[in-house]
Amino acid sequence: MIKLFKEIYQYRELLYTTIKKDIRGKYKGSVLGILWSFLNPLLQVFVYYLVFPYLMGNVIDNYLIYLITGLIPWTFFLTTVQGGTRAIKDNAGIIKKVYFPREILLISQVCSGLINFFISCVIILIFCIGAGVGISIHLLALPVVALVQAILILGLILILSAVEVYIQDLEYIVQFVLQMGFYATPVIYPLKVFSKAGLLLTLINLNPLTTLMNAYRGCFLYHTWPNWGALGAVLLLSLVILMIGFWVFGRLQRNFAEEL
Amino acid sequence: MLEENAIEIRGMSKSFKVHKDKPKTLKEMITRRRGEAVENEVLKNISLDIKKGETVVLIGTNGAGKSTLLKLMTKILYPTSGTVTTDGKLTSLLELGAGFHPDFTGRENIYFNAAVFGMTRKEIESRIDQIIEFSELGSFIDEPVRTYSSGMYMRLAFSIAINVDADILLIDEILAVGDQHFQNKCFEKLEELRDSNTTVVIVSHSLESVKHLCTRAVWLYKGHLQLDGAPAYVISEYLKQSAIDNKEKAKELHSSGTMKTSGQIFSDHPRSFSDLSKKKTLECRGWSVCNGEDSVVEIWLDGKKLDKPFSIPREDVFEIYKEEYAGMIEPETIGWGLDVDLSNLEEGEHVLETVLRCDDQTVDRKKVRINVHD
Repeated sequence: MIKLFKEIYQYRELLYTTIKKDIRGKYKGSVLGILWSFLNPLLQVFVYYLVFPYLMGNVIDNYLIYLITGLIPWTFFLTTVQGGTRAIKDNAGIIKKVYFPREILLISQVCSGLINFFISCVIILIFCIGAGVGISIHLLALPVVALVQAILILGLILILSAVEVYIQDLEYIVQFVLQMGFYATPVIYPLKVFSKAGLLLTLINLNPLTTLMNAYRGCFLYHTWPNWGALGAVLLLSLVILMIGFWVFGRLQRNFAEEL
Repeated sequence: MLEENAIEIRGMSKSFKVHKDKPKTLKEMITRRRGEAVENEVLKNISLDIKKGETVVLIGTNGAGKSTLLKLMTKILYPTSGTVTTDGKLTSLLELGAGFHPDFTGRENIYFNAAVFGMTRKEIESRIDQIIEFSELGSFIDEPVRTYSSGMYMRLAFSIAINVDADILLIDEILAVGDQHFQNKCFEKLEELRDSNTTVVIVSHSLESVKHLCTRAVWLYKGHLQLDGAPAYVISEYLKQSAIDNKEKAKELHSSGTMKTSGQIFSDHPRSFSDLSKKKTLECRGWSVCNGEDSVVEIWLDGKKLDKPFSIPREDVFEIYKEEYAGMIEPETIGWGLDVDLSNLEEGEHVLETVLRCDDQTVDRKKVRINVHD
């Protein structure tokens, strides 16, 4: 494990250029370019903002801010898990030709996602100020929450991308699970909608992303500190998944060049 | 691992599973019966030490496992059993320009490509002038790579790879980069590396050139390590074995009736569309190679067969084909020649045809149009 980290450190320039390519290369050829990575969630926000109050009635104040503080972290999760699952397969060409620590491809996915997310946070802040919610000291917790989310994502995509090489169905299974996850996480609805749902509510509360969403909303919208106990539990879970991820990836990567 | 070794291979075997139709989806994995995979052992129980500073060439016929061995050394592939360990920073030139991005400039791609080789920004910056100078791209270095000719592309890729400060350099059959001038330069660079502390492992079929470049040759034969030693000796033994194998294979194919004779005929003189004077004798010269026994060269002028040509020794042609046609060709008889009297011909266009025949089959033929005048 220590050897792996040393090697990744030696290849840091590769990590850096891959992140740059991930961020710049994604929207290459489109007129608005990188702006799309911010525009996309924003447009989604407006769609939900227009439709949802009719479905649920006016259940929460500041629904616009509630939406945006949920959708942007969710987009971070969604795009990196989707992109990360395909990361090894999409780089088959170079994997067959050159040796480098393959983990770099996934670390760069998470890093570029994280950078995109932090830039998007500026947009959230603009909305917060515009809507009169304002900002507070609790924003200091934001990097911590984001880091926990990044660790969780890295662990997940280490496993998913390695298995994807052997079983290509995984991509579609992941797509479906993510779709379910969207509704199993309070992204567009408040938790109290499910207050009478019993088991379903328990499940949603057990979802680590629910804890993260609550923490984000605390930072931006409600000006409260995260529930440190819950966040610590999520961090622990993420670290366990990360360890398993490195182990599984290390095992499976030996045959990448043959299987791809 | 011993201190003096750069690469240590111990009891290493590698097999590939050859699936007739590889199951790629879950449904296929579940529904398809197992046991359709055929194990194909490419390398069998190899043990080999390569010392620091050595320049080693791996030789062997196609499919002998040379490239697989290189890939195992760079950790693109992993052995089925046994171990491969390396000591030092390893760079492999298995494929030139891996990781090039067509829309970025040559200079930016130097950064990308060198990063793939594990260099840091500082190391790249200290070397970038050297790389650009070596590539001889001049002002093109700031143009996007997609505007490059394939020669320029290869030159840039090679310049990066060879200027990466590696302890171990693995090169797979890529010595034929660019024009003669650039090739010479690459060779000089490789000689420089040979005389330095760098360990170099080359896979090559240009036997003549590696014979002088390398300090040691390792011959892989059907996945075994056949011979290991001084290049000149190993290469000559390898050629001897290839000659035997080629002959045996030809015999086998011949007896089973599936033999496909192949060969080439080439006419050095006259060239097509040349103007020739009636008064001078036309000296037809050329060479032919054929993998069958008893091949004959026939020369036809305007559909009329001429006399049997005589043999001419051609060392130069023999050098080129001696591996491919090992045991089938002799340097003394590879060339042919015939002096043709043109004085009885009418003025105007005539067709001269050279035909290579073997066992009453035409293997290859070349037509040459000539203009005859006074």
